[in-house]
Amino acid sequence: MNLAATSLPAVSLSAMLRVSRLDLTLLWRNKSSLVTVFGLPVVFAGMLVPMKGVDMGGVDGALLQGTGHLGFFLVFGVLMNLVTVFTARREDLTLKRLRGTALSDAEITGGSVLTATGMYAVQALALLTVLGVALGGRFPADPVLVLAGLAGGVAVFAALAFALSGVSPSAELAQLTVLPIVFGCMLGAGVMFPLDDLPGWLAQISRFTPLSPVVEITRTGYFGQDFHDHSAHPSVGVLAGWRTCLPSFGVLALWAVLGRALAARWFRWEPRHA
Amino acid sequence: MDTSTAIRVEGLRQRYGDFEAVAGISFEVRTGELFALLGTNGAGKTTTLEALEGHRAVHEGTVRVLGRDPHRERRAVRPRIGIMLQEGGFFADLTVAETVDHWRGFTPAPRGRDEAVALAGLTEKAGVRVRQLSGGQKRRLDLALALLGRPAVLFLDEPTAGMDPEARHTTWKIVRDVVASGATVVLTTHYLEEAERLADRLAILHRGRIKTSGTVGDVVAGYGDRISFQLPGRVRVAELPALGGARADITVDGGRTVASYTVTGTGLQAGLYDLLRWAEEERVPLDGLQARSASLEDVFLRTAAEGTTR
Repeated sequence: MNLAATSLPAVSLSAMLRVSRLDLTLLWRNKSSLVTVFGLPVVFAGMLVPMKGVDMGGVDGALLQGTGHLGFFLVFGVLMNLVTVFTARREDLTLKRLRGTALSDAEITGGSVLTATGMYAVQALALLTVLGVALGGRFPADPVLVLAGLAGGVAVFAALAFALSGVSPSAELAQLTVLPIVFGCMLGAGVMFPLDDLPGWLAQISRFTPLSPVVEITRTGYFGQDFHDHSAHPSVGVLAGWRTCLPSFGVLALWAVLGRALAARWFRWEPRHA
Repeated sequence: MDTSTAIRVEGLRQRYGDFEAVAGISFEVRTGELFALLGTNGAGKTTTLEALEGHRAVHEGTVRVLGRDPHRERRAVRPRIGIMLQEGGFFADLTVAETVDHWRGFTPAPRGRDEAVALAGLTEKAGVRVRQLSGGQKRRLDLALALLGRPAVLFLDEPTAGMDPEARHTTWKIVRDVVASGATVVLTTHYLEEAERLADRLAILHRGRIKTSGTVGDVVAGYGDRISFQLPGRVRVAELPALGGARADITVDGGRTVASYTVTGTGLQAGLYDLLRWAEEERVPLDGLQARSASLEDVFLRTAAEGTTR
């Protein structure tokens, strides 16, 4: 009997899905967070329309920015969402109550990461559809590469979210904690304009922000062109596409390790002065 | 593992920074018994309970619940315990029924939804959002969630705080039924009546240490029975008799002088007999005469007072 109890798996998918069901019920009840999760992406997608037909480094401006948004939506759907949820639940002690159930820590955190990933996937698919239908885009040249880049992005921004929630004193202030990352990613990740438009040294530094590798990988996968070599964007085949993205995957891996370490150090289950 | 011992605590110490909230306590709780932790605010009750629940790692000492370390082996222990936190949050936007439904999903082999809602006495409130419940109603929902998985060990941190007397009695009945069904219960309270009515055994904590423990009878024994009366104006303190060797304590309460004795050796009956005979001989009227056995309250107040004068 003891053995059976010890060998219980640390994470069960069905338990995570039940946490996810709770997340979705609560999201549905809280209209303001519903607006943040789905309203902001709509606003950003709308801003692509005027860029249609503008040439940006050899590709259509709406598509260049649109593929940038594909990565940028991680900031709303995963980062902001998880920071707010976990800070609010820690402070109102619902996290402590959840932790008093038979759920493991990994199921409580993993369930909400699952919710965030699902919501982000809905945003990303909708954006890809808008790009294809309304903005003259194409089906991704290498969908697997796009998926790999975005999945890496989810892992990095989820880890960063747990770290930032630990240093956010309240759900309201959590919005402020996230703000530097939002701006940093918007400007430094090549979402709105190619990083090559920046001075060389700044472009090099920008390649090390957490979002820029995601943007580079998804663009390379979407266009089938090399977006690591920013000046020319030569066409690449599948293998060459992955090869050219290796440094970006390297940066993502670094952020994933750093994010996990910071999360392990900073994340808290209970308010500081309980 | 000895199956007759549900919980074993040895030399437990818990610190918050420099502050030692629990300063080396040991006790055991037998299977199927209700054990109460009593103490003033800040005595270390909740800290002890949270160590038993596995909410925090132990700084020093050993804690075993159902033979396992509740913090390191949370995964194995949690499905078999129920926790009612002193202050645990609810999702305010969920209704009572929805809260129970979601929690059933987090609990192995849970009670039915209607059964749990009825257990909380909230059948009429099933469709009401949790934010609209009173404090006492939230406590009852809390208890129902803790009992959802029919736990072998139940932890209750001040289960009746904020309840009206009727709800308190209902809660006591539920807790008694849980104990009768064979579960082990550890509860903290600062309602002495609660401990007196429910506890098989108890410990009084003060400043992180156990001052006394045992059954209510054990704990109260040796604390002395009490006799008191109003001192008539014409009687001088020096004229008062000693009762079973005890001298009178004089206190002034609301303009009245009260003489009180704590009788240990010869017992209440002999002490009272001595007093009445003296009063008869001296023709002293004993207004407001009270005689009663020692209560948990006496022990509790004495323990708290000893701590503060030290």
